[in-house]
Amino acid sequence: MTMMTHPHADTLTARFYRATRVIHWRNWTVMVLLGIGAVFMLLPFMWTFSTSLRPISEAYRLPPSFLPDRLDFSSYARLEDGPIPFLTMYWNSFVVAAVTTVVVIFTSAMAAFAFSRLRFPGSNVLFASMLVGLMVPPALVLIPLFFGMAAVGLIDTLWSLILPALANPLAVLMMREFMRSQPREYEESAFVDGASYWTIFWRISLPQMGPPIAALSIIVFTTSWNNFLLPLVFVRSFEAMTLPVGILSLFGSYGAEELSVILAAVTLSILPLLVVFLIAQRFIVESIASTGVKK
Amino acid sequence: MATLRTREIRAGYLFILPAYALYLAFLLIPLIAAMGLSFAQMDRLSWTIDWVGGENFDWVFSDPRFWTAFGNTFYFISMSVIGNVGLGLVVALALDRAIPGPLLYFFRLAYFLPVLVSLAFVSFIWKFLYSTDLGIINYYLRQLGIPNVPWLTSSSMAMISVIIMDVWKNMGFFVIIFLAALQGVPRNLIEAAAIDGARPWVVLTRIKVPFIAPVIVFCITYATIGGLQVFDSIKILTNGGPGDATRSVVMYMVGEAFDLGDLGTGAASALILLVTIGFVIACQFGIVGFMRRRRKA
Repeated sequence: MTMMTHPHADTLTARFYRATRVIHWRNWTVMVLLGIGAVFMLLPFMWTFSTSLRPISEAYRLPPSFLPDRLDFSSYARLEDGPIPFLTMYWNSFVVAAVTTVVVIFTSAMAAFAFSRLRFPGSNVLFASMLVGLMVPPALVLIPLFFGMAAVGLIDTLWSLILPALANPLAVLMMREFMRSQPREYEESAFVDGASYWTIFWRISLPQMGPPIAALSIIVFTTSWNNFLLPLVFVRSFEAMTLPVGILSLFGSYGAEELSVILAAVTLSILPLLVVFLIAQRFIVESIASTGVKK
Repeated sequence: MATLRTREIRAGYLFILPAYALYLAFLLIPLIAAMGLSFAQMDRLSWTIDWVGGENFDWVFSDPRFWTAFGNTFYFISMSVIGNVGLGLVVALALDRAIPGPLLYFFRLAYFLPVLVSLAFVSFIWKFLYSTDLGIINYYLRQLGIPNVPWLTSSSMAMISVIIMDVWKNMGFFVIIFLAALQGVPRNLIEAAAIDGARPWVVLTRIKVPFIAPVIVFCITYATIGGLQVFDSIKILTNGGPGDATRSVVMYMVGEAFDLGDLGTGAASALILLVTIGFVIACQFGIVGFMRRRRKA
């Protein structure tokens, strides 16, 4: 998609987190309003979590609960006993997201190294041609990809979900921005000492990019974990299904009366994202703010 | 030195090769294939291709369901852009002040968490929240004496329900972008205005908003491009219904190509989408360029 680098991204941390001791009354009013808004933002998640802990028979009992009024894990147990192999889907989602993330991070870091550190003919043209890809909606390439996958017999396998996600020009672009902001001194002295480009990349460039790589990994992993359109079209059998489409078929087989079972599945699907976000919140927010992009 | 230079050039290509090969195979070539396919009629069984020129486009343009989908998509975009960008800006302005650390952590969690979670997952949640008889939104409305609202089952309400959820889900992203932009407004400008006795409203409309205007244009463009591709939420919440009341362009495309098996018209409608996105991006560049020139003049 389009991108925009924010010139003040590096000063963001300092201003964002500084809190003064004296707070004006007008600020208090604004904070109370923000607090009320924040609670409303969280209510759907709180309802999901606490309803998943109700037994199936009481899931629809009103008034609803937003904090768990009991701890009944029977809905979670039903997930495993039911006709839909929930754990298999969970594992599939994890495998697809993990493989995608590792390959995308690795290949985009390599490309970013070339684009930001090496001079070679045609590099600008190649980079510009990758930017075209940012504009392409995933839905557009769905039809030809379906044919390609069908031709090589990969439809209804995890590969049909992994391979299309490996083309990620956004990651190349972000990685290049990160790498350009890194100092070159270590790389240059290693080069003078006769290190090969591969050694420089592997031993110096990559290690000093730790934080941005972590942030980008979270974004790539989340995007893959959340993908809905691709598995909806490419996968039919439960053996290769991932969570978003899997839960859609839970709807079909359980129906709405088993509300708490479906909400248990949703809770478990959200959980990894929530954990990562609680740990790396500041990190994710800043890396998104600094580039102004999301996919 | 010549050998050093050759080494650098060779390394450059080798380092780019994996990412570029993947990009070619799974994005650029499929893109070109999609363009080709939109001018062809393909038999799914025999894999034979007939070139039919602009017939697919004629078919799509004369299909009233396409125009319904196109109209729905633009209705969705107009409302979700106002909601996302407008509310996002308001919340960002509210957050752009000294806030004690723990409180800020909580606010960021609350406003940003929905952005991170999949549209598919939150759509499942909201499908229950919106339920007419058993949903908790209607339960609280009943407590207030308001009769049940058919959130997802009436053709006039369904799209509004999709939009409300979309704003809840995506607003946080724009909050983050606006907040970063607001941190870039020079403090001395604001302080100087305050010393001159400018009211907060004047500071807002005369300093802050003009300063971040290009970011606002970016956010509107971004939200528009995202809105053109709306699919997941509608698929789960209403599946395009009731009737065709919430069918979007991408839903039309997927329906033509994969449910009806007409790949040519599917590709043609996808290409129309791409051209529309290109047009929106061109408009953004035009508007930002115009603002720059005017500022200089």
